[in-house]
Amino acid sequence: MESFFSRYRNLIVLLAVLLAQVIGLAVQVRKPLVAAAGAAGGPAVHQTKDGRGVLLIRLWAASLVTPFERAIHGSGEGLNGWWNEYVDLRHVKDQNKDLQQTIDRLRLEQAELREDALQGQRLQALVKFRQNYIYQTLPAQVIGTSGSRQSHVIYIDRGALDGLAPDMAVITGDGIVGKVRDVFPHTAQVLMINDQTSGAGVILETTRIRGILRGNAGGQPQVINIIADQRIQPGEHVLTAGGDQIFPRGLPVGVVEKVQQDPERGSFINVIVKPAADLQHLDEVLVVTSLDAHLSPQQQADLQTSEELKGAEAAADAERKKAAAEMEERLPGLKDPNAPNAPAAATVIGPDGKPVPAPPVTPKPLPAAHADRFTPGVAGSNATSGADSGLDVPDASTEGNGAAKPPAPKSQSNAGQVKSAPAKPQTTPKTPQFSGRVQ
Amino acid sequence: MQALIPDYRRDLEIRRYPIYVYVLVPLVALVLQAWLPRLLGRFAYMDLPLLVTVYFALNRRSPVHGTLLGMVLGVAEDGLTQGAIGIHGIANTICGFLAASIGIRIVVENNLIRMVLNFAFTLLSSATMLFIMRALLGLGWQTNWLDEVLRASGNAAIGLVLFPLLDRTQMRD
Repeated sequence: MESFFSRYRNLIVLLAVLLAQVIGLAVQVRKPLVAAAGAAGGPAVHQTKDGRGVLLIRLWAASLVTPFERAIHGSGEGLNGWWNEYVDLRHVKDQNKDLQQTIDRLRLEQAELREDALQGQRLQALVKFRQNYIYQTLPAQVIGTSGSRQSHVIYIDRGALDGLAPDMAVITGDGIVGKVRDVFPHTAQVLMINDQTSGAGVILETTRIRGILRGNAGGQPQVINIIADQRIQPGEHVLTAGGDQIFPRGLPVGVVEKVQQDPERGSFINVIVKPAADLQHLDEVLVVTSLDAHLSPQQQADLQTSEELKGAEAAADAERKKAAAEMEERLPGLKDPNAPNAPAAATVIGPDGKPVPAPPVTPKPLPAAHADRFTPGVAGSNATSGADSGLDVPDASTEGNGAAKPPAPKSQSNAGQVKSAPAKPQTTPKTPQFSGRVQ
Repeated sequence: MQALIPDYRRDLEIRRYPIYVYVLVPLVALVLQAWLPRLLGRFAYMDLPLLVTVYFALNRRSPVHGTLLGMVLGVAEDGLTQGAIGIHGIANTICGFLAASIGIRIVVENNLIRMVLNFAFTLLSSATMLFIMRALLGLGWQTNWLDEVLRASGNAAIGLVLFPLLDRTQMRD
C-alpha cells in the first residue's frame, strides 16, 4: 500500500486537489428547480451569496490584493515625483546637459500639469453632475479590476465603512457603470454592465421597447430577449427602465451600435449597445447610496416656490368657482329668444287626460334679412297669394316670435317647383343661391 | 528533437528559490493582474498568475508543487472575480501539474520552448475554464476565441521577458 501511494503520489495529489475544488464548485452553483426555471434543463445559476455577506475566501483574496492596489493608486503620484527627482538629481551632476535636462523637466511638468488639468476637469464635471443629480451619491475611485477577461469587475476605494451596500448602482456623469456586488470594509466589488452575469432593465428611448442588458463574450453590453423589430436602428439611445430597483429610471446607458439575430432563437434579436460610460478607462465613479430625493438648496427653493404658486393658483380657481355660483343664484336666468316656448305652452293634455310630451323641436334657421324666392320656407307661403311674382315675403307673424310652425305639405311641393322652375326664365337665376343658407 | 531531451545532470536538477520569492512573485503577479487592466483596458492580454504557475512548475519539476501552486493562485484569482470559486483554480491546477510533468522530460531553458509552452498552457487554461463553466456547471457562457488566442500570445511574449528575470532569483549551489 505504501508503495502504491509513493508511486502514484503526484496523481493522487492532483486528483485530491481537483476533487476538492469540484466539490467546492458544486456547493456554490445550483441548478434551478424546473418549476422556477420555467423549463427543464434551464441554465444553472451561480448563487454564491445570499445578500448578507461574502465568501470568506473572496474576502481573503480582496484583502490580499486590494491594499496593494490602494497603495499603488495612492502612491502613484509620489512615486512619479520621486522618479523625476531622482532623474533630475542624477542629471544635475552632468553640467553639460543642464539645458536639455531643464527642457525635459519642463516637458514632464507640462505633461503632469496637463494630466492634472484633465483630472480636474473630469472631477469638475463629476461634481457638477452630482450637484444636479437628485439622488444621494458617493464619489469613489477605481483602484483595480478582477484581472480576468471572463469577469468584468472593478474594485473601488469605498466600502462598508463608507455606507456602501450590495446592489447599489454605480454611475458616472456619462452613464451607468454597474452595481455593487460584494462589499468589504474599505473596498467594494462592482459588477459592470458588460459582464455576462450582470443584468439591468433598460428601455429604448424612441421605440419604447424594454429588455434586459447584459454583457456578451466580447465584453460588450447587449439588450437581449427582444423580438425582431425593424424599428430598432443604430444610434437609438438606451436608458435605464427603473424596474430593477437598482438603477434609477432614465439614466443613459448608451446607444444602439448594431442589431444581431439571436443565434439560438431566430425570432429574437440582440441589440449591441455602445456604453455611454467608458468602461475600459474608469477613474472616478459615483455610487448611488439612496434613491430618496436629495435636492440642493436651490432646487428646494425652486420646489417650494412652485408649490406656493400651485397653491395660490388652486385657491384663486376655487374663489372664481364660488363667485360664479353666487352670481348664478342672484341673477335671473338668461333665455334665448329663439328657444322654444315655456314648458307650460308645450304641454298638451291628451285625450286620456294625461300630458302628452311635446314633439322634438326642429331647429329653425334665422330669418333672412332680405328674403327672396329662394329663401327656404317662403315659396310655399306665396304659392297661394303671389306665385307668379316669384318673390318671397317672410311671414312676419311667424318669424317674429320664432315659434316653430311646420309648413303645409302643399307649400313644400311648391317649393320644389320653384327650385325646378324652368318655365319662368325671367326670374330664375343661373345658379341656385340658397345652398349656403339652408342648414 | 535531441535538443529537447535532457542529457546533462544540470538539465535535470531541481531549481530552488528563496522562500520570499515563492511569496512575493505570486503576490506581485496577482496585484499586477488586477491592476494593469486599469491602464491597458481591453488590451490586457495576459494571465500573470498562470505564467508564474507554469514557471515554477517547469523549474521545480515537481508535479505536487505545481499542482498546489496552481490551485492557490487559481483560487486567489477566483476570489477577485464575481464567479464561482474554483474555475481558475482547477484550470491552473491542471496546468501546473502538466507543466511540472513536462519539465521533467524536456529542456525548458530554450526560449522557443518556453514560448510555445506558455502559449499552449494559456489556451489549455481557457479551454478548461470553458469546459468547467459550460459542461460541468451548466452556466450559459460564451467565449471569444480570438481574445483567448491573443491572451495566449500575450502570455508567450511576456514569458520571454519574465522567465529570464525569474531565473536570476534561483539559488545557486
